[in-house]
Amino acid sequence: MARTAPATVQFSTMNDSLPPASPAAKSRHALLSLAASFGFTWGFVALGVAGLTALGMDYHESEKGLMLLAFVVFLPLFLWAFACARPAWALVLLGTGAAGMTAAAWALQRAVLA
Amino acid sequence: MFNNFRQAMTWLHTWMGLLLGFVLMVCFFFGSLAVFDREIDRWAIPQTRFEPQPMPSFDKLLLPILQKLEPDAKDYADNMPLLHDSAKGPMTPRLELPPDEYWAYTTHRDPVLTMGAGFRVPLAKNPDDHNHIHGDTTIDPRSGARVRDDALKIGSRWFYPLHYSLNWTWKDIGYWIVGLAAFTMLVALVTGVVMHRRIFREFFTFRPRKHTQRSALDLHNLTGVVALPFHFFFAFTGLVIFASFFYFPVSHTLLKPLHDRHEAHEAQATGLPHERSGQAAPLASVDAMVLEAKRRWAARDMAGEVGFLQVHHVGDANGYVSIFRAGSDRVALVGEGIHFKASTGGVLREDPPRTVVSEINEFLTGLHLQHFEHWLLRWLYVLGGLLGCVCIATGFVFFVEKRKAAHARAGSAGSLVVDALAVATVTGMVIAAVGMLVVNRLLPADTVGKGDWERLAFWGFWVLALLHALARSGPVAQARLNPAWREQCWALSGLAVAAVGMNWATTGDHLMRTVFTHTYWPVAGVDLSLLAAAGIAAWSARKLALREQGSPTPLSTAQVAEAAHV
Repeated sequence: MARTAPATVQFSTMNDSLPPASPAAKSRHALLSLAASFGFTWGFVALGVAGLTALGMDYHESEKGLMLLAFVVFLPLFLWAFACARPAWALVLLGTGAAGMTAAAWALQRAVLA
Repeated sequence: MFNNFRQAMTWLHTWMGLLLGFVLMVCFFFGSLAVFDREIDRWAIPQTRFEPQPMPSFDKLLLPILQKLEPDAKDYADNMPLLHDSAKGPMTPRLELPPDEYWAYTTHRDPVLTMGAGFRVPLAKNPDDHNHIHGDTTIDPRSGARVRDDALKIGSRWFYPLHYSLNWTWKDIGYWIVGLAAFTMLVALVTGVVMHRRIFREFFTFRPRKHTQRSALDLHNLTGVVALPFHFFFAFTGLVIFASFFYFPVSHTLLKPLHDRHEAHEAQATGLPHERSGQAAPLASVDAMVLEAKRRWAARDMAGEVGFLQVHHVGDANGYVSIFRAGSDRVALVGEGIHFKASTGGVLREDPPRTVVSEINEFLTGLHLQHFEHWLLRWLYVLGGLLGCVCIATGFVFFVEKRKAAHARAGSAGSLVVDALAVATVTGMVIAAVGMLVVNRLLPADTVGKGDWERLAFWGFWVLALLHALARSGPVAQARLNPAWREQCWALSGLAVAAVGMNWATTGDHLMRTVFTHTYWPVAGVDLSLLAAAGIAAWSARKLALREQGSPTPLSTAQVAEAAHV
């Protein structure tokens, strides 16, 4: 005879499950996660190249290194942003990181060129 | 939005995989064909069926041809208005553009030699940029005879670029779509592992006699797992190869000032001038430079032939010649470049040993681009690519099989549309490729614009396959198999046999000749592959016919209508 969960557990599970989101909402969330994690990776690449060059590494060497790392960073970030229990928080975090690192890369470049 | 991580991963796997899977099929299939792109070129242009040649004399053979090259009219029309600054003066006419760069390239698999020139834009908007209008040509290196410009190299100029750009170069949109598809492949592989926790068991599970949905899922899992490292590697390195050009072009945008300063410093450090001096200078013997380069490579215990040769700042005192070794005896895509002063022939620089980052990068990209000589590994690449196609195609079949009964009851057209797109992407795509080869053999070699007709035939076959799949998709709305799968398998089988027959009829190169009496593996290999494809397609068509006979009784119109109102 198959074992069934007690009624209280079944009820609790039903209460804990999230209301189903529409396919459009899920697609929108996937696109936003993609854009935010791409932006974050862009900032990471820019800051990485500028930073390593500022530390004395050859420009093209740092560029190659960061291109190898870019998708290693981008992939888990996207999966995390999409699956995160607090999606808005993930998007804000990634967006802030993207803007911050891009600005830092630009500032670092100015300092190096000055 | 999702109750747990696994549910989120399942959603991504299903819907991203479905949406970009159609593009991934193109990447994997034409990527597989690209492994033998030069051999397909030989099949498509019979006058180039001879053995690969070393780089011929630059001074005697290549230079006179390069000096007669003209800037490409289309390149001029498209790019000259973008590069030229009209505030500085009138636009230089196309045929008056001065040459700034010459190059020549050959491979161990290519009998013909590709060469070209970059022509300088005199009054450029941004003089610091690489302002070139290009003109290139292909020659028979034994005689210098030019291969007709409109003879399309179907392998290297059509199938190969399809797999990374979809041959859709407007605004580089093809590269972006393929990039998104490659990223989707990475997502699909990771999410697939998360979804299927019993990955080891699935590696050994295939039940071909079960119903289509079960068999398709087994095969999807098996091919996904067995070639998982291969799929991940190719999607990943494909992205890395184009990352700095398209996906993360920080050096051309945000960090351009830093990049440009580095280029100037590099030119100073290496002694290779970044700019023209403005003083005219003659070109010394490039053949003598080639001899010296070969002597230096041999001294470093890596004797070899020239693969790529480039003359920079043509006719200027700052001109220099870069000679790179054909590195077909190793994986990493490197050329041990030696650079000479163009006016004197003196050595300016030898490329130093690579750093660790460059070693890793060039090994990974070299493994993707496979310029090395290793025929078994090449065939394993084809096998891996085709396993990728099987994985994606069975994903489509599983998607449709899982939903078509429910969609039929609900009156939804979802399964019907996905199934028709799957037919067009699986059998339709192969029909387009093989149909293009048939048209290549049908059209006489001197047909004006032959390449354009072949391209048109390719798209025409593909559109016809899609229309046929849509027109025959009625049974899917009744939860049955689309007969277009079977019919297109027969069409493919017929076209593949016709291509082999047409090759024999138009060139005299039948298999007895290309395998036994006058062995020429590039053409024999394409013919044998076409016959294998014909056999597999015919076998599949027969199996599909059996499945169709055993498919469930169609739902009656009344049942479908009733279900649609539930």
